[in-house]
Amino acid sequence: MEKETFESKVIDFLSDRMNEAEIKEFEKFLNDHSEYQVQFDALSRTWRGVDGIEVPEPTENMDVRFFEMLQSEIEKEKNAKDDSESWFSKILEGLWKPQVAYSILLLTIGLTAGYLMNADTSSVPMKTTIVGNSETEEVREQLVLTLLDQPSANKRLQGISEANKISKVDETVIKALLKTLNNDPNVNVRLAAIASLTNYLDNPIVREGLVQSIIKQDSPIVQVTLANLMVALQEKKSVEPFRTLMRTKELNESVKEKLETSIKSII
Amino acid sequence: MHALTDNALMLKVKSGDLDKLGLLYERHKKRLFGFFYNMNRSASVSEDLVQNVFVRMLKYRHTFTGEGSFLAWMFRTARNVNHDYYRKHKNENNQSELSSIEYKLEDSENFNSDMDKDDDIAILNRAMQKLPHEKREILMLSKYKEIKFSEIGEILGCSEGAAKVKAHRALKDLREIYLQMEIR
Repeated sequence: MEKETFESKVIDFLSDRMNEAEIKEFEKFLNDHSEYQVQFDALSRTWRGVDGIEVPEPTENMDVRFFEMLQSEIEKEKNAKDDSESWFSKILEGLWKPQVAYSILLLTIGLTAGYLMNADTSSVPMKTTIVGNSETEEVREQLVLTLLDQPSANKRLQGISEANKISKVDETVIKALLKTLNNDPNVNVRLAAIASLTNYLDNPIVREGLVQSIIKQDSPIVQVTLANLMVALQEKKSVEPFRTLMRTKELNESVKEKLETSIKSII
Repeated sequence: MHALTDNALMLKVKSGDLDKLGLLYERHKKRLFGFFYNMNRSASVSEDLVQNVFVRMLKYRHTFTGEGSFLAWMFRTARNVNHDYYRKHKNENNQSELSSIEYKLEDSENFNSDMDKDDDIAILNRAMQKLPHEKREILMLSKYKEIKFSEIGEILGCSEGAAKVKAHRALKDLREIYLQMEIR
């Protein structure tokens, strides 16, 4: 056994920190090694001697002082808590002073009156909004008409986009949109016009305008879009214009087939 | 068996239930007093130091995590209190040691009829006082088997094995001093 291991085991044994198996093993080791047994015996006597050193009992005075100290600490802690609570209660107390109470009362009256006055006038801004809205619609219709007359295709597309924002369109705008569908040189603008007009299919002018527009279209994509729309609407009035269109020599073969199918599904 | 462990009580103290420190005091006052008495041989000083330990435990209760044992934490505090006392009263120590030994001898005469045993204890007492401070300290801590050596290592700032070897060497030194004194 190494020296340090032996030293550790001596202390574990003497200080009663060994379990039974460890005790047996250590006792066996001491029996087998007499030189270690001598060292152990000598230290064991000294250890017992230290145990024998008597320590007097502490006096009652120690208890008295301790509990006085503890009591004073508990009170200090309690006072600190009370202080923080009283800070809040002081504020509350302050609120009950007559001057502060009157101020709060006046403030409450002011706020209530303000609220009621606001409630009375609340209908005025609503009316204003309605008026404002109709004014805005008028301005927007003018804007649509102006934009659709612009030479730039982007501006005309912007015009159609503005028309889509109008909840109830004027006949003038519908006519302008139909005019765009029939005459605009740009295919995208014409397609956008069809999309915009589909918002007002309840309007007979729109439906009639779309049907009459069929024979005026030379772009295959616009022709197919209108064919799809007529099929969806099951618009029988569109059959004749489609047949007229089919008789046109320049008509794209695919479009012709598409129109044939459309006519069949409408009939 | 204690209804609440030391750790549980100290955690209650930490959370503001200061009353529980009274229970811890009752459990450990004698052990702490014995530790200090064996270090300084003065009953009145030891009583003061026990008080200081509990004052410090209250002050630094927020540092108690409950992870280690309460005993180890308490003795770490006790050791710091003892060191502070020694630093402050360095010059007075020799004188107090002498008066304490006399006090101890009187105690022995009162309580022990066996003169040889009294002599042995008196010599061992004197030998203890000649033992360097830190060696006396580890011998005293080793006596409390409730504290694991790993915790003693923590208190002293060394490993468990080193703490055991230190305790062994302190005991060996004490024996040598005792033998020298016995020969005289």
